[in-house]
Amino acid sequence: MNPNLFRFDSLSMLVGVSAGLFFLLILLYSSGYMRGRKGLVRYYLYTVLTFVASLGVIFANNVILFLVFWGFLGLLLCLLIAVGRKDRAAETARKTLIIVGGADAFMLLGVAMVWRLAEVATPWDLTMDSTRIALTGGKAVAAYLCLAAGALAKAGAMPFHTWVPDTAEDAPVPVTAYLPASLDKLLGIYFLARISLEMFQMSTTMNTVLMGVGSFTIIAAVMMALVQHDLKRLLGYHTVSQVGYMVLGIGTGNPIGIAGGLFHMLNNAIYKSCLFLAGGVVEKSAGTSDLDRLGGLAGVMPITFGPFLIASLAISGVPPFNGFASKWLIYQGIIEVGKNGDVLWILWLSAAMFGSALTLASFMKLVHAVFLGQPSPARKRRENGAWKTGPTLWIPPVILGILCVAFGVFAAALPLRFFIYPSVPGEIVPAGIWGSGWAAIMILIGLGIGLAIYLLGTLRKTRTVEAFVGGEILEEHPEMRVSGVDFYQTIQNLGILKLIYDAADRKFFDIYEVGRKTVLGCSRLAGSLHNGLLPRYIVWYLLGMAILFYVLMG
Amino acid sequence: MIHLIYLLVFGFLLTTCIGLAASWIDRKVTARIQYRVGPPLLQPLLDIVKLLGKETVLPSGVSRVTFLAAPMIGLASVMVVSTVLWVNSLYPSQGFVGDWIVALYLLAIPSLSVILGGFASRNPLAGLGASREMKLVLAYELPFVLAALVPVIEADCSIRLGDILNFQRANGATATSPAGALALLVAIVCMQAKLALVPFDIPEAETEILCGPLVEYGGPPLAIYRLMKDMLLFILPFFLIILFLGGVRCDGVHLFWGVLKYVGLLALITVGRNTNPRLRIDQALKFFWGPVTFISIGAVLLAAWGH
Repeated sequence: MNPNLFRFDSLSMLVGVSAGLFFLLILLYSSGYMRGRKGLVRYYLYTVLTFVASLGVIFANNVILFLVFWGFLGLLLCLLIAVGRKDRAAETARKTLIIVGGADAFMLLGVAMVWRLAEVATPWDLTMDSTRIALTGGKAVAAYLCLAAGALAKAGAMPFHTWVPDTAEDAPVPVTAYLPASLDKLLGIYFLARISLEMFQMSTTMNTVLMGVGSFTIIAAVMMALVQHDLKRLLGYHTVSQVGYMVLGIGTGNPIGIAGGLFHMLNNAIYKSCLFLAGGVVEKSAGTSDLDRLGGLAGVMPITFGPFLIASLAISGVPPFNGFASKWLIYQGIIEVGKNGDVLWILWLSAAMFGSALTLASFMKLVHAVFLGQPSPARKRRENGAWKTGPTLWIPPVILGILCVAFGVFAAALPLRFFIYPSVPGEIVPAGIWGSGWAAIMILIGLGIGLAIYLLGTLRKTRTVEAFVGGEILEEHPEMRVSGVDFYQTIQNLGILKLIYDAADRKFFDIYEVGRKTVLGCSRLAGSLHNGLLPRYIVWYLLGMAILFYVLMG
Repeated sequence: MIHLIYLLVFGFLLTTCIGLAASWIDRKVTARIQYRVGPPLLQPLLDIVKLLGKETVLPSGVSRVTFLAAPMIGLASVMVVSTVLWVNSLYPSQGFVGDWIVALYLLAIPSLSVILGGFASRNPLAGLGASREMKLVLAYELPFVLAALVPVIEADCSIRLGDILNFQRANGATATSPAGALALLVAIVCMQAKLALVPFDIPEAETEILCGPLVEYGGPPLAIYRLMKDMLLFILPFFLIILFLGGVRCDGVHLFWGVLKYVGLLALITVGRNTNPRLRIDQALKFFWGPVTFISIGAVLLAAWGH
């Protein structure tokens, strides 16, 4: 075997091991979630093949080999989405195939250009780590952009994001948790890191472009998430928004920012699949993922609520969970950029920090509408027994929830030291590490003081009473319920934001819809030329011949 | 171990004492403005002690753990952030890199705890109030972060509070530059909203939604919320003093100046809440995302150009 075909360094080991972890958890979860469905053989076959292909992508060093595995992954993604039961699943699968496949075509073009630039004999000799192309000149920039388009479409960054929310809504939950939420993020960002750190030498301009794409993705996607009405679709938009942080981290171009981006990639895979899996349990038990028809589930499914709440806080970057640890590194990276005299860092930093506040807001809405708040009348009619979930459904979210806490509290001691730092080129100053363990102890002591105050008081003699509003018992008046779906209506109707939201509603920013309309418009134009009348065809024929003669003779 | 002592002595005890005293000043001044006599000095403490003696009432069907843990989370985060601020004020070299980010994040958690508590109450008024609190957080967070960036930019992009303090000791307080003055103005407005005081008491609006998120709370959990809010009444101005007014130094006459800075900010808060009507939530959003954000962007640009 050619020793250059595969490569096992710390970055590929990191991604490979995490891919394996998610694969096992998804298998366990699927055994409970998918039970009793049709086409299970197909489903498990695709899942295993996806894992094998992604291992190929991760460890391949030969670019052609990498492209082959990458192409398989796109196809398998489309097939897995089509397993969904909804009517729209087929349409969504097609949309995904066109966006991801289209981006893959760009990648192919990019590889061809890299081959010319790297001046190796055949494309077969092209390896991921051998070329260090400087980003000078139009050709190199075009090649980089083509490859980055493939990586960003796979990860779901804007403007190639629109397949992610649709997939989240229509595909089965384990598929969403497996591919767009964890595996595709890992692979897309892995590839982005490979091309940005090894294949090309980044220039300041290209780093700025990356940071711009990242910041824009963070804010725009989370603004869309704020106003969604469906549990899974809302999570889908967050899947997009979090990519922004990773791209931002890699775009900083300094070791600490890149470490933050890679760590965020890992953390995002953990809490995002935790959220999807917990959301899947809710959907399976309640029979719907419409936020308006859920509510008050914390009482009946506490073991799902716990991981969901922890993951929500982690994704919003609340210390001391893992999301904060990686965002903190990214912020440091951005400030390092500022120290080198770039002024735009202020924009990136405020976008990233404001993005966290928006994320928190939309997750608070979700937590209220699904788990806290008052139960919807539809949910009250269900028997209490219907809420029991098998261990295969709650073990994976619980494991992921524990990982969220562990990777946050022991960030510096465990994941950063063993996985992330070895993968990053360059030195990282140890002083720049956030003392997460120290902070966790402080917070624990703080909680202890709170508990002591409770114990000083009268916690032991609690009394439960019916809630009243305006002198009426609340439970007897279901019409007084606030579901939480319209919490952010105010923002949706605010000045210029209203215009943007309306345009987004008409799919104005959907690259697939825009492309489809353009293509259909062109074909209608071409179609109108073919009206079936002989004289018209003769005119075209003669006209064409005249032009031909003119060109050939002239 | 030394951190533990900081946490207990400075983070908890000292901050609580100053917070309760500040709460008394605020109530006394408010009473005098309204031609009332006002409470005695120990009243804020007595209120909390009295609440501790009341029984804990849970609305039926709530998630008990969330309902009772929410106030504790807020209290814990306030204590940690006050420890960070105290350590930085006493020994500017002892802070860690990035404590500016940590302080900003931890200062958002008290709002989060109120929101979680309100949502956990299963009461429509609490839910409404908590959603307003969330929107208020969104409204002020952007200008607040931008304003807090100004001292960072002036101190050569250092996100250590200790560096920011040392820079101000060498070159004069941030607020003496035009950019710093503008940023301080923005931060004071945002502080009023962070404390949820009039004109931004929209989440609690006693006269329309009966204290909003806190409507179902009573007894010890309410006592913790009260304690948290009193501590915030000290911590937020303290944070602003560190960022913009050169911090508080505990030696000799500097201590007096520090107290004066704090009392000045407290007076602004009290006057602000006694002379304004309450805004609606959409007005507050427009106000913060419109003029306030523009002013803070102006401040950041001025700072980036070296003014």
